[in-house]
Amino acid sequence: MKRKRKGSSIEAGAVELNVMPFIDVFSLLTTFLLFSAVFIQIGVLEVQIPFLSNAKPPDFQKPERILEVKADLSKEFIEISSSWTVAPIDEKKKQFPRTKAGIAEAHKELISIRTAHPDLDKLTMFTDDEITYKELAEVLDAIKFLAPGETLPPPKDPSAMKNGESQPSLFPKVIMGSVML
Amino acid sequence: MASVGSESGETLSLNIMPMLDVFSILILFLLMSFSTDPVSHDVTAGLELPESISIRSLDENPMITITKKDIRVGDLVVTGLENGDVIESNRTQGAIAPLFKELEKLAEANRVRKDLPVNLDGPQKDALTVEMDQTLSFKLLKRVMLTAQQAEFVAFKLLVNKANDG
Repeated sequence: MKRKRKGSSIEAGAVELNVMPFIDVFSLLTTFLLFSAVFIQIGVLEVQIPFLSNAKPPDFQKPERILEVKADLSKEFIEISSSWTVAPIDEKKKQFPRTKAGIAEAHKELISIRTAHPDLDKLTMFTDDEITYKELAEVLDAIKFLAPGETLPPPKDPSAMKNGESQPSLFPKVIMGSVML
Repeated sequence: MASVGSESGETLSLNIMPMLDVFSILILFLLMSFSTDPVSHDVTAGLELPESISIRSLDENPMITITKKDIRVGDLVVTGLENGDVIESNRTQGAIAPLFKELEKLAEANRVRKDLPVNLDGPQKDALTVEMDQTLSFKLLKRVMLTAQQAEFVAFKLLVNKANDG
């Protein structure tokens, strides 16, 4: 690379810019980045299992009326059911095939439940033993997260909103109901 | 431009500009894709994770690893697997005895670390991070979760691959 210095009173002639140190730095930086780069991004799916608590037992004289949402996952179907804890129980059940389209339909059903009951955040999931982890993750995605563009009405209780949550959640708390002694 | 003299006195010039261009683009790409996840973890060899749209990142290294051959707590193999299930001698009431011993130690260590009473009632606040092969069944995961439940761990973080469009 030849450059002629402007405004120099000395006739420099051919000035060679040594680019080798620059290439050395680039090579080292490339090697370091290639070694430290993570090409597979790992995420997590958070779930809970039921547990016995020493908290104050509920008041059986005046039981609270709460809507319980359940998802039963078998090799063939996903069944979404909802029922109230206190009469009128008003149980509703819908079955969907465990296919990509069926899972999408079940997801829509869960959105409609959440839209009607914005304060809900918990779903209990019952899973057959034969279901593989891959199949479980597919259904957990449909239960826990909203796809881009999907929205939910805000909860009536603003304190229920989690600060700093970067991904819109459908049912953030999933309880694996089958894991019971 | 780098140059080198030959025996005949001619100067051979090597144009290194295209190479610098490639280097610059490569560095730019690598810097852009550089992971900012709090923890970087290499998936255990021979284990394949399912894909998920979850964007929640891994924030601690997995505690329990379930491969097709064995179950590990950290680097310690606690039990072998046979046909995708725990070997019979290690099963007790649906749970896994050697895994329970290890998780109990972990639960106690957590309490000591947090300066809590050892015989504290109630579940552990910490979630157990579980890395599991995508082909293994829920039956096995249920055994692990049941065992963890007995050691008072009730929250789990299941490892997944973030889907590209997620």
